[in-house]
Amino acid sequence: MSGGTLNRVVVVGNGIAGLTAADTLREAGFDGELTIVGDEPHPAYSRPALSKALLLDGDDMSSHELPPAGHGATELLGVRATGLDPERRIVTLDDGSALPYDRLVLATGSRARRLSELPEEFTLRGLDDALRLRGRLADRPSVVVVGGGALGMEIASGCLAVGCRVTLVSQGVPLITQLGPYLADVFVKAALDLGLTLVETGSARLEQRAGEARVVLDDGAVLEADILLTAVGDVPNTEWLADTGLTAKGVVPVDSRGLVRPDVAAVGDLAAFPTPHGLRRVPLWSSAIEQAKVAAGALVHGDDAPPLRFQTYFWTEQFGLSLKVVGDLPLDGEPTYVDGGPGGGPALMRWSHGDGTGVAAALNYRIPIPRLRRTAQAAA
Amino acid sequence: MKIVLDRPRCEGHGLCEEAAPQLMHLDDEGELVLDREDVDGADAALAKAAARVCPVAALRVA
Repeated sequence: MSGGTLNRVVVVGNGIAGLTAADTLREAGFDGELTIVGDEPHPAYSRPALSKALLLDGDDMSSHELPPAGHGATELLGVRATGLDPERRIVTLDDGSALPYDRLVLATGSRARRLSELPEEFTLRGLDDALRLRGRLADRPSVVVVGGGALGMEIASGCLAVGCRVTLVSQGVPLITQLGPYLADVFVKAALDLGLTLVETGSARLEQRAGEARVVLDDGAVLEADILLTAVGDVPNTEWLADTGLTAKGVVPVDSRGLVRPDVAAVGDLAAFPTPHGLRRVPLWSSAIEQAKVAAGALVHGDDAPPLRFQTYFWTEQFGLSLKVVGDLPLDGEPTYVDGGPGGGPALMRWSHGDGTGVAAALNYRIPIPRLRRTAQAAA
Repeated sequence: MKIVLDRPRCEGHGLCEEAAPQLMHLDDEGELVLDREDVDGADAALAKAAARVCPVAALRVA
């Protein structure tokens, strides 16, 4: 066991990364005092569901609910960590209290990047955001979504599906930087067929004119709507660590076991971990889970714990299409069809990257994920 | 305790199988199969861990 005494562990962050870390600490045999701090008043929930099922699910408001935690931690919810003294091993909270620890897990995630300070700018990151948007959608407002990534497209899809007029503003073709041109084209076709208005632009900003918020494009064109929503990336919540020396360029760099130092782990959207492409943040559900499992093991067992061997698993649902991908995105060129063919699925596809790795993608295609992983390896 | 699957919700992400391969697996069609539904002790903890990583909240342990 590394780092001396192990009686008290503090987990800062109650998303899936913090929750998984707490669960895994128990599985790894830690039976001491465990405290988990979450700045939202809610128990941990499924963030991927917020922009998918939760926007659509009629009266069923449970599609984001995770089963109750079983880690037996003291849960401090609705409380924010404001500072850390890594030498004295103390976390300070915004209610004035201080938590001493022997081991610490940093899992404060990230927040939506905003384009303005205008209160009219909607973003969708947390459960409260999703419930607020859902409430507004009941009146079938017109919606402008700024951001052509997976989140912006999912939200646009959800708003369209409940009957709103939706315009999506994208820097270039939606999803092209995330998925590559082949799959982006499949999704854009489906979106246009369902009635999405697509505006491609070099840049967009939000401004207020005569009391009304609006979107202004780089050519001066103006878009107005009942709801202006931006989905333009995320910003790691690391400001509270600014004086600790544990951050670099706004992220927390970690080793292959998720450790910043022997007594401090960082997991989830705020951590940059070693990948074949260098230190990277991979802000995905499956990434948060894998990082948290590895790091919790390392906090208890040190170098005897296995390092992270993460293979990206990504999925999205939008415009009637369901996509599951194993392997590194984006994808160049056309796929080899393992099953099915072009035209929007059902299809099982694979690509080979130049570096010897492979990617498998299932489009409207049910497949056991272990088989999807094997298909990705076969493509390598 | 019993593992309860809400089948219409299940999208076959398979994260539950990765968490608790002793208790459940996806079949060749990508449909989740509960190999055991009644669980106790360590298996119940494992089942709960599987339920908590499901991003579409398709599993309950009650």
